[in-house]
Amino acid sequence: MSEPPESYESAVERLEQIIDRLDSGQAGLRETLDLCREGRDLVTYCSAELDAVGEGLQELRLDELAARLEQPAEPRQS
Amino acid sequence: MRRRARVSLIGEVTGFSRSRTQAYFELRDTEGAVPCVIWLNELERLDLPKGGLRDGAEVVIGGGPNYYRGSAQASPSFSFRATHVRLAGEGDLLARLEALREQLRAEGLFELQKQLPRPRLPKTIGVVTAEAGAARRDLLTGLQRRGWAGTVVWAFAPVQDRRAAPAVAAAIQELAARPVVEAIVVARGGGSLADLWAFCDETLCRTVAMLRVPVISAVGHERDSTLIDDVAAVACSTPTHAAEAAVPLDCDEARAGLERCAAALRRTGEGAVGARTRHLVALARGPARALRRERIALNQKTREIRAAAQRGVAERVSFQRRIALVVLDRTARRAVTGAASAATTNRRRSVALDRSASAALRRRRDGLRRAAMALRAHDPERTLERGYALAEDTAGEPVTSAAAAIAAGHVRLRFADGGVGAKIDPEGGGDERAA
Repeated sequence: MSEPPESYESAVERLEQIIDRLDSGQAGLRETLDLCREGRDLVTYCSAELDAVGEGLQELRLDELAARLEQPAEPRQS
Repeated sequence: MRRRARVSLIGEVTGFSRSRTQAYFELRDTEGAVPCVIWLNELERLDLPKGGLRDGAEVVIGGGPNYYRGSAQASPSFSFRATHVRLAGEGDLLARLEALREQLRAEGLFELQKQLPRPRLPKTIGVVTAEAGAARRDLLTGLQRRGWAGTVVWAFAPVQDRRAAPAVAAAIQELAARPVVEAIVVARGGGSLADLWAFCDETLCRTVAMLRVPVISAVGHERDSTLIDDVAAVACSTPTHAAEAAVPLDCDEARAGLERCAAALRRTGEGAVGARTRHLVALARGPARALRRERIALNQKTREIRAAAQRGVAERVSFQRRIALVVLDRTARRAVTGAASAATTNRRRSVALDRSASAALRRRRDGLRRAAMALRAHDPERTLERGYALAEDTAGEPVTSAAAAIAAGHVRLRFADGGVGAKIDPEGGGDERAA
């Protein structure tokens, strides 16, 4: 991926544009291949975003959150 | 003491308790508290709703001052003996609520939260609610239904009584101070307006309005309307709806949609190459076909051109024929018109000529007559008639001098009535001349 999307929303918006462009049948071969590659990257990004909120609900109290934020990053445990 | 004036007080009930015969509580407002007491039998006669008189209830009480002399176990004290109690009318609270609502609206505080962008897929949500409340469970159920399993940060706070508003405001501020928290839900179950009064607190509402994190309120039920609903980014009727507002994206549906997108992209990518390959193969076979097609088209064009040329020649001949006919017709008409005009001119000229010839004839006759008259005036015959004679030689030529007469020798004298011969005498004539 050349540049990661700003957010899930912008990624989905760009993905819809790509699908529309491909559905229009007006893209040439080079553009089609580039769009497919970009689309696959966006799907990967969106999947990762969805996975991040799909690995099991995590409940924290405020003080626990504060403590976690003060610690160095650790792998998340669901 | 009982003769003192009877008054009504309004405030919030705190520290409610009962003995065998009496009920005790404090009536608080923002400025202080009054200890109150009421006989249980009087309380029962008032027919209040079950549990109506409890901590946090907004009530209006009627009564007067009361003095307790004290006992071996208790000190003497003053209190307010209530004889009448009623729950504060919603009209009282509603009037205050409406005034505050108008004030906040006029300050534009209702719009600030609504203008904030809300992430469709937040990873961390902050929730302010009561630790033991049903709202907590409902919210989790709603999030689960969305297929969302991110991080929920709980900031528990009392959601009823006068401690609630500052505690809720503090919890919201704590959550908003954490950048990972992308949305905040404030949830509480339904209740009377007095129960929900904490969520109409001016300080709390101003705090919510000024936050840069979207706040979703789920306070009370659909019919309940609190001020926090007005200032929040979204107002929901239930915690379940609040879960949907906090995570606008249905994650399960989004996952299915993404799979469809990925499949479509795969198909499109492969299809694009396959279709173009087939197209290339077709193109490779194309030149001969294209040549044949062009030849057929060329023949067709040739036939069309030939037919068009023939049509053109025929049309041209026909056109020229029409032109010739028109020219001939015009020439004939011009000739007829010219002949008629020439005849008229000739007639005119003939008349003029006749007239001119007659005049010339007359002029010539007159001239002739005058010439005849002049000639006659010079005619020698007329001189002879007057008695003169004309000498002629033998040839008939006049002899006009003496020398000629002498030379001739013989002359003929012509008179008017005839001629006679005479012989010339050169001598005789000399004398006469001399005389």
